[in-house]
Order: sequence, then structure tokens, then C-alpha cells
Amino acid sequence: MSDPNIPVEETQVAAPVLSAAPKDSGLQWFSSKAHLLTLSEGNLFLLLAIIIGMFSGLAVVCFRIAIEWTRLGLLGSALAPPPLRVLLVPALAGLVVAFLVQKFFPRARGNGVNQTKAAVYVFDGFVPFRTVIGKFLTCSLAIGSGQSLGPEDPSLQMGAGIASALGRRLRLSRDRLRLLAPVGAAAGLAAAFNAPISAVLFVIEEVIGTWSASALGAIVLAAVSSAVIMRSFLGGEPMFRVPAYTLGHPAELLAYAVLGVVSGVLSLAFTKIIAYFRPRLRALPEWTHYFQPAAAGLLIGFVGLRIPQSMGTGYPYIDQALHSQYTWEILAILGFAKILTTSLSFVSGTPGGMFAPTLFIGAMIGGAIGGLEHHFFPQVSASVAPFALVGMGTFFAGFLRVPITSVFMVVETTGSYSIVLPVMISNTIAYLISRKYQDVALFDLLAKQDNLELPSMEEQREQIVLRVEDAMRKPDLPPLQASDTLARALEIAETSTEEILLVRFPTGRWAGIARKDLHALASEHAKESQLREVLSSARLPILHPDQRLDDVLRFIQGHALLPVVSRAGSRKLEGVLSLPDILTAYQRAT
Amino acid sequence: MLISLILLGVLFVITAALAQTYHARVEGLVSEWFQKGNADLANGKPALAFEDFRNSLSYGPDNPEVQLRLAEALLADGRFTEARSYLVNLWDRAPGSGEVNLDLAHVSMQTGDVDQTIRYFRGAIFGSWEKEPALQRRKVRLELCEFLLSHRMTNDAQAEIAGLAADTPAGNGVLLEENGRLFLRGGEPGKALTEFEAALQIDPRQSQWLADAGQVAFEDGDFLKAEAYFSKSYRENPTNDVQASLALVRNVLGNDPFLAGLSDEEQARRAWRDFKLGLERLHNCAGTSKAGLSSGQSTSDLLPANKDAQDLQKRVNLRSLTGNPALRTEAMQFVSRIEDATSRMCGPGTGLDQALTLIEKRHEGNNP
Repeated sequence: MSDPNIPVEETQVAAPVLSAAPKDSGLQWFSSKAHLLTLSEGNLFLLLAIIIGMFSGLAVVCFRIAIEWTRLGLLGSALAPPPLRVLLVPALAGLVVAFLVQKFFPRARGNGVNQTKAAVYVFDGFVPFRTVIGKFLTCSLAIGSGQSLGPEDPSLQMGAGIASALGRRLRLSRDRLRLLAPVGAAAGLAAAFNAPISAVLFVIEEVIGTWSASALGAIVLAAVSSAVIMRSFLGGEPMFRVPAYTLGHPAELLAYAVLGVVSGVLSLAFTKIIAYFRPRLRALPEWTHYFQPAAAGLLIGFVGLRIPQSMGTGYPYIDQALHSQYTWEILAILGFAKILTTSLSFVSGTPGGMFAPTLFIGAMIGGAIGGLEHHFFPQVSASVAPFALVGMGTFFAGFLRVPITSVFMVVETTGSYSIVLPVMISNTIAYLISRKYQDVALFDLLAKQDNLELPSMEEQREQIVLRVEDAMRKPDLPPLQASDTLARALEIAETSTEEILLVRFPTGRWAGIARKDLHALASEHAKESQLREVLSSARLPILHPDQRLDDVLRFIQGHALLPVVSRAGSRKLEGVLSLPDILTAYQRAT
Repeated sequence: MLISLILLGVLFVITAALAQTYHARVEGLVSEWFQKGNADLANGKPALAFEDFRNSLSYGPDNPEVQLRLAEALLADGRFTEARSYLVNLWDRAPGSGEVNLDLAHVSMQTGDVDQTIRYFRGAIFGSWEKEPALQRRKVRLELCEFLLSHRMTNDAQAEIAGLAADTPAGNGVLLEENGRLFLRGGEPGKALTEFEAALQIDPRQSQWLADAGQVAFEDGDFLKAEAYFSKSYRENPTNDVQASLALVRNVLGNDPFLAGLSDEEQARRAWRDFKLGLERLHNCAGTSKAGLSSGQSTSDLLPANKDAQDLQKRVNLRSLTGNPALRTEAMQFVSRIEDATSRMCGPGTGLDQALTLIEKRHEGNNP
């Protein structure tokens, strides 16, 4: 039975998964024998987050360099490589990648976000270090050879893997280990995108799904330290350089709304393509898995002969689109070609991420829509560049279903804050369209295809939260006052249907008397005794209408009836709540 | 933990070494493609140069020099919209760059945005230039003057030309002469002549400058000065053009009855000669016209002049012109009318006829 003297608002509720660990391990600085500098596990955890961030940042720097060197070695330094290389390199590299994945690194094939989520929710924070090595090698080769994939998702998983390995080595508690994977993931993503805010938001929005204070501090520290490392080695400039943008006329926002609609529809189509082909290719006999990346590479090579921009990460071409280097027709072709090549790479099981291709497709489609609108309505729409910029975020929001991250990502990767208004409008529209016509978000879909039952963060966000106001009812009679006499209380009890009578004290304190106890009190005390004298120490917890019923359930047991009072003053009774009322509310909601 | 920190240190050193090698390679690629682009641009292959610069930029996206050259390759290839985007980006980062402003002026010129063109030209004039800033600014100003003149924005052009002249070093005759030509085009022959004369003080025997000064004096109606400059120019370098100009000026000076310092007799003699020449031109033109008129034309333009001629012939002779300035003026006005009418019917006059036209124009409005 809970202590009735503890008010509800003093009760702290921990996140179900990422709760603070028991402070029992007492990890020490440097050595258990050296007691000079001893840190609590909480502080050590924050220090560890910084170290994880540094490790992840260094790993991502090496990874990015490895991709570039592979590309230079295999395809040459020109943006449009020689035709023979374009045709052969992705296919041959695909063979090697498939062999490595099938023989040595089977987990490198999967989606990094889901594998990190699986580490949190299924494997107690365990991410094999072999996966880190596998991702590094296979993704460097795949992306460097021109497969249409990006380095962000592998970076995220490498960060998670490094964090998990460090946590295991330090023998952290299970809860801490679970928390380490998203911390590492944020670090990996922050370094890959050079965007620590987006990385933090993404991990919260998509991996852990909750703003837990214990998790947030570590995630932020890891993301920041990782981004600092990355910037110190590869430069601190935003990923894309964009011309200055100003919103000319409010009507321009309509043009961006159109972009939101188109991006929403196309991101939906892209998701459907992947959802349809991926399980079918995976279901083919095992031996075909050795050749699927090579076949995809060959087809990508054919496309690359005419459209070399559709190969690899495509970052330089995004930059060009942002500088109005293509006509809207070319931009549209590039967008659709990238959808094709990325679908081929991804469904064939080639390791690599979808973030960079998503940005590419978004930029091209955005630019194409902008160019088209500018062609027909030059007075309404601005130049192509801002549309390409907004398109990146819009497609990202529609395809990956991370609406908040997508807004910050555009701002961070471009350093352009002025674009935020159109981005918000366009992203929201794309996100809503994608949500309406595709019940399951991409990451959840991929998890299901991989036979993983992971919690859907989107579903969690959308869950209806029942609150006290949904379950409380009006009392049949006004509450008793502390100054009322026992005789008056007995009189009221005769007319009330409640088993418990609530008593209000002038200080805002509340107490309760069971009807059956009232007669016993009357026999012990004089009938003219005031209630404040006979209920001197009794105190009921109080509730407020906006509190979650889930939280109330924890301590309502043991109280037959609780007062629901206004936050503006605890003397004002808004209603009453009992356990049966809560159960009725849950029944109604389902 | 200790092992982790040692590992971190090792990884840091390895990454630093890798990054250093990588950056060296990338810088090499930036430079390699940049040089190739410059060579292609110099060889008149802007499309190839543009691809080279793009390659270079993919390794050094923040390199403003490459961005500028890429924009210039795009400009040379006629891809103004694409060039503009890069230039605007560069301008945002360095709004005071003379080169970027100049390129943006060229783009705006191509897109027909006059205000922007002028704004960017001025940005280039007052912007910073790495090499030979004074010369670059002068070039830009000259270009702006040309632009303003071509858009008939004479007042703005005159202000710019004045600014140009003010910034011109006194010892450079070529630049002074250039200023003079611009003043001339801007409708300020007086200022043009000042510039030419300043240039001639540096090199008094420069035949072209002498000819230019003569031309300005001629257009300003100062035929005496024009004659002096043309004759000097002809002495230094006897060209047909100067010879023709000199002959024309001498014809004017030799036949102008209103020239200052002439005696009354000389004025009468000149007016009488001009009158006779006018009549001759009238008769010749009328004769030619009757034979060669097309269906749409008529000799009606000549009829009033012909009538006046008959009237004046009765009154005008050498004696009546002597001591009668009013009659001299009337006779010369008649000559002017004849020249106008015959020019329309038979084409502009040459030689003495051209001189007579100039004489009349010179004294237009001054006649009683």
C-alpha cells in the first residue's frame, strides 16, 4: 500500500526501458584498486558517452575516408567516371560484398536503425563488434563502388556497436548497456551528417521514442563529442552550401505545399517498391544472395552510363541542384533514376544506408517541382535552389517518417535557418500523406520483414493517452469541511451514495472517511467534535485532471476514492476518481 | 577503461594520419582539375572547363576561386542562370569582391535586369581586387559607361565618365584619350576636348589624338581649332580620313561669310559665292530629279525653293550684299533651305555643299 502522505506530483515516473540503473556497481576510475578518483556510475556514464562519441567520430572519419578512397581507386576522380568502370565496378564489387556478407558478416546486411532498436529492446544492448567491422568493410566497398546507398545508417550502427563493445568491456549494468546503443547511434549519426541536433532528435524520435533525462544527457554528449571529432578532421562546414533564401511572398508557401503533396506521394511509392521487392528477393534461394548485389550493381551500371549522378551517395550532385545547375526536366529524371538505383541496391541486400539517397531524391524532386512551378507561375515560386533544399527535408519526412528530425536536418546540413518555414509546411504535408496511405512506417516494415517485433515509435507517439479527466466523475454531494461536526457528517452520510466521504481542510489538504468508520468515530468522540479534530493526521493524495491514468494506477490501489482538484488551487474539487472509474475509462477507450 | 583510453589514443593517431593523407590527395585533386579547367577555358572550351571545375569543386566545395572560375566557365558557355546561382553564393560570402560583382553584372546584363547590372557594376568598381585594382576598376567603369550609353542613360553615363576622368592619372595619354572619346559619346564635346588636349600635352605629335581633338572641335563648331588639329595630324600622319576632314573644315572656313574678323566686302563676296553655289545645286538636283524620280516622289519639295530663288535672284548680287548684313543673312538662309531640300531629293551634299550646310548649322539661331 502506498504512502497516503506522498502527493502525486512528487512521484517520479521512470521510462519503462531506459530507467536509471541501481547504484550498486560502483565503477571506478582507472582501476578498482586505485580509489583516488572514484566516479559514481551516473557520472561515469556521462564520461563514457563522451568517449563513445570520440570513438564513433574517429570511426566515422575513417569510414568516410575509406569510402572516398575506394571510389577514387575503383571509379576515378571525375564525377562522370569512364563508361567501362561504370558498368563493371558496381557489379564486381557487388560480388565481393555479397561474399563477405554471406560468409563473414551476415548482420551487416540489415538496417542499422532497426538493429540498434533490436539491441535496445531484444538483446539487452548487445551489438556484436563483428557487425561494426562488417559494416565498415562492406559499406565502404559498396558505396565506394557506386551502389546507390549512403554512409549514415552504417555510421549509426557502427556507433551503436562501438558503444556496446565499450559498455560490455566496462561490465555496465543491463539497463546502462541498453542505453548505450542509442548513445552510440546518435554519435555515429552526428558524425556522418555533421549534424548533432538532428542525430539526437532522430535517435529520440526513432530509436528510444522518449525524452528521458538520463538518456538525453548521454546522447547529447556523445553526439557533440562525435561531431567535434568529425569536424576537426574533415572540416566544420555544413554538408551543403546553399544560396541565401528569403521568402518573397506568402503565396510562395502554396508552391511549397504542392511540393509537400508530390513528395508525399513519391515517398509513398518508394516505400511500396521496397516493401514489395525486398521480401521477395530475400525469399529466393540462398545461393542467389551471393549474386543479388552484383546483379543490382550491373543494372545500376547501365543506368549510370547515361545518368552517372544516380550512383553512389550523390552528395556533389545535391550541391549542384542546390545551385540551380540543372533544368527541372533533368532534376526530375535524376530523382526517378535515383529511386530506381537505390531500390535496386537496397532490395538486393547490399549493405548501406538510405539517408543519403533519400536526400538526393528529395533535392531532385524538390528542384523539379520548383522549376516546373517557376516555369508556369514565375511570380509565385522562387528559383529552383530553395525547392531542392526544402525537397530534401520533405522527402526525408515522408519516407523515413521523422517529421521533427527532417526539419532540423535541413537547417543543420545547410546552415540555412531562413528556409525553416517552407520546410515545416512541406514536411508536414508529406508526412501526413505518407501516414495516411502507408499504415506501417518504413523502419517498422523492415523490422517485420526481418521477423523482429520492435516497438513502433510512431505508434507510440500516436497512442491515445488517457488522463484523469477522461475517467473522473462529479461527486454526488459537495465535500465535507474540516469544520463540520461528526453529527453533520453522519447526516450527510445518510444521503450520499459514496462509500467514502471526502473532507476538505482550509489548507488544501484532503482526507477521507469511510461511511462504515463514521459510526465508530461517533462512538469514540462527542458528536459535536469537529472533523479536523478526529482526522488530524489523515491525508489523501490529490490528483489533477491532466495527469495520465497510467501514472495514477501506480498508487490508487489502497484508496477507494481520490479527489481531483484544480491546479489553480487544491481546495477546488473538480471531480472524484476510483479504481473502477479508471477501469471503465480503459474499457471505453478500447 | 585505461585500455579503452589507450585504444582511443591509437585510433586518434591512425585517423590523424589517414586524414592528413586524404586531405593531401583531395587538395591535389582540387588543384589538378582546377588547372585542367583553366587550360580548357583558355583554349576556348568552356563546356569542358565547366566539367573540370565541377570535378574540382566536388573535392573542394568551399573553394571560392574554383567556384568563381566555374561560374565564369558557365558564363562563357552561355549558361547564365546556372552561373548566377554560384555567383550569388559567392557574393553572399564576399559581397565586396570586385570580380564576383563584375561577373554578376555580366549575368544581369544577359538577363536584361538593368538595375541589378548597374548595382553589380558599381559593386565591382568599389569592390576589392587582388591584382591591379586601379586598372580593374577603370575597366569596370568603362564597361559600365558603355552599358549606360547603350541604354541611353546619358545622365548616369556622364556622371560615371566624370568619375572615370577624375580617377585617371594625369600622365597617361592613352587613358585621357579614352576618356575624351567617352565624353564625346556622352554628348559632352567640351569635356572631351579638354581630355584630348590633356593627352596632347603629354605627346603633342600623336596623330590620332590630334585627329580626335580636331574631330571634337569640329563637332563643337570650333572650325578654326579643328583646322589646326587636323592639319597637325595630317602633317604627322597623312591619312585620307584626316585629309577629308581637313578639306571640309577648310571649305567651311573659306566660305563662311559670318566668320569673325572678315571685312564687309569679304563677307559679301563669300555670301554671293555661296548663293551661286546654292542655285547651282538646286538646278542640278532639279534636273537629275526629273529624270530619275520614282513613282512615289515628286519635285514638289524643290518648288518653294525655286520660287524663292527667282525672287531673290532679282535682289541679290555682289553689290547689294555689300553693306547689307540682313540681305546676306537672308541669302544664306535661302542657301540652307536649298541644301535641306536637295539633300532630301538628291542625297546629302559633298564638298562645298556639305560645307555650306555646316556653315548654316553653325550660325543657326545666331542669325538676326
